[in-house]
Amino acid sequence: METTKKTVLHDFHCQEGAHMALFGNYDMPLWYKTGAKAEHLVVIGTAGIFDTSHMAVITLKGSGARALLQHCLTKDMDSCIGMSKGPLVQGRCVYGLFLDADGFVIDDAIVYHLGDESFMVVVNAGMGGVIAKHLGEQCQDQSVEIVDRTDLVGKMDIQGPDSAKVLAKIVKDPQQLFTKMMYFSFKGGFAGCSGGTTVQLLDGTDVMVSRTGYTGEFGFELFCDVKHLCSLWNQLLEAGKDFSVIPCGLASRDSLRAGAVLPLSHQDIGGWPFANTPWGFAVPEKDGNGNYKKEFYGAKALAASNWQKHTLAFAGFDPRKIGAEEANYVTDVNGEKIGKILTCTTDMAIGRVDGEIKSIAGDKELKLKGLCCGFVLLDRNVKQGEVVFLSDGKRKIKVEIRADIRPLRTARSAMGTMVG
Amino acid sequence: MKELSELIFVEGLRYTDDHEWVTASGDTVKVGITDYAQDQMGDIVFVEGPEVGDELKKGDEFGTIESVKAVSELYLPISGEIVAVNEDLDDAPEAVNEDPYKNWLVEIKPSDPSELEGLLTLEAYKELLKG
Repeated sequence: METTKKTVLHDFHCQEGAHMALFGNYDMPLWYKTGAKAEHLVVIGTAGIFDTSHMAVITLKGSGARALLQHCLTKDMDSCIGMSKGPLVQGRCVYGLFLDADGFVIDDAIVYHLGDESFMVVVNAGMGGVIAKHLGEQCQDQSVEIVDRTDLVGKMDIQGPDSAKVLAKIVKDPQQLFTKMMYFSFKGGFAGCSGGTTVQLLDGTDVMVSRTGYTGEFGFELFCDVKHLCSLWNQLLEAGKDFSVIPCGLASRDSLRAGAVLPLSHQDIGGWPFANTPWGFAVPEKDGNGNYKKEFYGAKALAASNWQKHTLAFAGFDPRKIGAEEANYVTDVNGEKIGKILTCTTDMAIGRVDGEIKSIAGDKELKLKGLCCGFVLLDRNVKQGEVVFLSDGKRKIKVEIRADIRPLRTARSAMGTMVG
Repeated sequence: MKELSELIFVEGLRYTDDHEWVTASGDTVKVGITDYAQDQMGDIVFVEGPEVGDELKKGDEFGTIESVKAVSELYLPISGEIVAVNEDLDDAPEAVNEDPYKNWLVEIKPSDPSELEGLLTLEAYKELLKG
């Protein structure tokens, strides 16, 4: 067994009394002394910071880099940006999947277009080596240099509506940074990952600022040389004091992303065909013959697979949940077993008011207790609005199949409204 | 996570190895969870209790307590009839995190009050936590 890994912020987590747990073989904070509820709510209300340096970065350089990624990534890099479906260009990034030959998910990723022949790929903890190897196997010639930068890149996220205001306090030129900073775009670069533009902190540190995240809320993923990460973290914590910024752990990251209907790789997507999911945007459209409009590795097997199961989002009627343990299951209204639970957590920012889901983002005076939510994998399709039951054999919880969960999310808010 | 030295204990209560506390007043006993339990669970979002009038045996499951992390079963430390359930927790389950010794879960009329003597003393409970 591989020894447990630590991020460079591990000492901080321990000094702050965080509850720690293994995630992707990294010893990571679940929550700090403030508790997961406060951490979830701060990201809805102001902003929170997350240590995400357990995630892995791979770089691709060379004349064949774009073609290799276009072959391996599910997303069509020639047609993925904005409403007009433009090509991925320098300064923009895109979400997609890497599939195996069977059409099963190896991992999900965000691909950054750094320059003409230069790309950065961000994947999940522990997946740097796996994806680098996969890309290497798919590379037909010597035209691409693939480097697994696992543990060499510092990464943290600031998420929440006040993220830009906090970040503005520590960067040299906030106006330059936030101008035309669309959702899924980035600026700046750092050692080994130069993106054609420069973003520096007031102290001169090079950083990459990406307008992405995993909470459904407005915010940024920040990259730098790993040796600068603790300093960046402390600067944001200090700058964030006026905005009640607190460090947030994996529990709130999980409850925020579930409420935002985002999948967790290896849990909601993984070693089974990627089909009939809420995340159809991760694969190209199909043509009249049932083939994907862009060819990608795993596409043929996926198009041919007769996968009848459906991954569906749900929300409950109160905070009660049934864990996603293997023994637990989903039934229909008649008590017939129809599938299993992939994710079940509590989004603490939402509740039902006269049956309708409301968020404290819309009304801070609302007294909401939170709602259980997540994803189920069912043997058949169930329509939105219908109810199913989660059960552990003893307890039974009614939940509603839904297209969306937490309302009033800020991830796509216009930049101009977020800089104040 | 709280160190052993940071945990709050209350003198005079009895404890269980399920990290519950029990205290007698008159002919009833109140049951709650310890500071260690609430710290381990994290933010409590829901407490589901029994019905008043339920007759349960020591060791029976009498409800569940849900935190952001997980759902934990609650086991009755002493046999008897449920005479009250703390309804304040319906609206404010987080009160258990804030003061786990003030915010009891259920009140029981024991069928065999001598069972109380079989529960852990404070010293024995601390020994259990030291492991």
